[in-house]
Amino acid sequence: MSRVLAVVRMQLLNWPINIAWPWGILFSSFLINYAIQSALVRQTVGESTTGGLLSIYTVVFVAYLISVSQDLPFALGLGVSRRTFHLASGLMLTTEALLYGTLLYLFALIERATDGFGVELAFFGLPFMSTSNPLLQILVYTVPFLLFGVLGFAVGLVFKRWGANGVLTLSVAAILAIGAAVYLITRAERWRAVGGWFVDQSTVGLFIGWPLLLVVPLAALSHLLIRRVTV
Amino acid sequence: MIPAIAVDNLTKRYGKFTALENVNLTLNEHRIYGLLGRNGAGKTTLMRILTAQEFATSGSVAVFGKAPYENEAVLSRVCFIKESQVYPQHLRVRHALGAAALVYPNWDERFARSLLEDFQLPADRLVKKLSRGMLSALGIIIGLASRAPLTFFDEPYLGLDAVARQLFYDRLLTDFSEHPRTVVLSTHLIDEVSALIEHVLLIDRGRIVLDDEVEAVRGQLLTVSGASRAVDEFAAAGTELHRTTLNGTARVTLRGAFVPADHDRARSLGLRVEAESLQELVVRLTASPRRPADAETAGDSPEKEILR
Repeated sequence: MSRVLAVVRMQLLNWPINIAWPWGILFSSFLINYAIQSALVRQTVGESTTGGLLSIYTVVFVAYLISVSQDLPFALGLGVSRRTFHLASGLMLTTEALLYGTLLYLFALIERATDGFGVELAFFGLPFMSTSNPLLQILVYTVPFLLFGVLGFAVGLVFKRWGANGVLTLSVAAILAIGAAVYLITRAERWRAVGGWFVDQSTVGLFIGWPLLLVVPLAALSHLLIRRVTV
Repeated sequence: MIPAIAVDNLTKRYGKFTALENVNLTLNEHRIYGLLGRNGAGKTTLMRILTAQEFATSGSVAVFGKAPYENEAVLSRVCFIKESQVYPQHLRVRHALGAAALVYPNWDERFARSLLEDFQLPADRLVKKLSRGMLSALGIIIGLASRAPLTFFDEPYLGLDAVARQLFYDRLLTDFSEHPRTVVLSTHLIDEVSALIEHVLLIDRGRIVLDDEVEAVRGQLLTVSGASRAVDEFAAAGTELHRTTLNGTARVTLRGAFVPADHDRARSLGLRVEAESLQELVVRLTASPRRPADAETAGDSPEKEILR
């Protein structure tokens, strides 16, 4: 365990960088949305919901993708085992997700208290993400971080093991799978049912339950992928 | 005593290319080994397999008696300074040293700081902004200050000037005598390290062609020159590695178990005797353009005796 913690600390040696990327990009996205909304609110458009929140989740995806190509060879070069690196990454991601999730929750509280930062902006507190329980609300923000991070880690490992061809093959496979699903749903005229399924899901199910169900197999997949990685 | 490294029948293939073939080695503790060989001979592949960064096709390796793969107890005692080591983009020199300090139990921070000054490495510079020589110096500092019981230096001097290289040899020897450990130094600069290394491992096209004490190797090599007939007569005393002829005179490099009496005999035949350097031997053993498979079919070729 002490070695896992050492590797977490190793990845946080230049911690301002770890913080600056996700929050810097989220903040710039916020500023743009704030500027646009303050212009709109003068034209009495009313409350606006934005998708800017997605930016911070995307940064976490990219960060773990890059970590596999840079931190992993560095750590293995310093005599760290693959398993320890994987555990350290998982521990760091969980901590990061909880921290970021809590911060987003707090920002959402501020947003609500200030009537959308005075301009009726819904940047942090999105209607389809809201629950009445504070703890669940934090997890609603937290768990998607886990999903994005684990996904980035897994894709990074595919790239590490099979290069660009591996990632491209994976992308083609994903596109074909989605295409096939769209085709089948369209042919069976079941789009209404699919839409209904999403509407029927509770916020907790959509942002905590289902992501967690994906995180577990993805982490297991990474466990298998990392075992045969060479650096 | 458990050897630091035991390699048993190790073979590594990449598709049709054989990087290592039936390698058998034993490296004892507290010695400095020179891992020599040409580019692409298999030196780095061997070290990557020994540090579990790469997988063997067949055969096995043991480091301190255990398989190194996913073995934290073994890996934490091994430091591999790879010429092509990847450093995370955002790290500065002091972060890279900090990372090594976190995972190597014997890390000596004071030693690292003094080496930083010796090599004039700026602690606050981003690793990606370092010149090739500075990057090599960073590797050297990590390799020395980690004081890992088994340390691999894979061509650690790239881009370093002669002064810095000498500094490295000096610091390595001084620290080695105070903190004995097993060092494997892979290098092309054979003459420079010949005073440093105690045991030479020569690898050629994936095979070990020489595995001996440096002292023993030095005595094995002799170059004689003079009248062709006299040279021919003396040449029967060893394996001929190299010959040049000019107007009835010849100059031949021989390998054999030579003793001082052999030198006297050569002189009595009117031959000039020269001692040869380790580098000369390495060049003679690895310069042949022939493939190992051809060497085996060429019955009485000088190589046959060399290949084990």
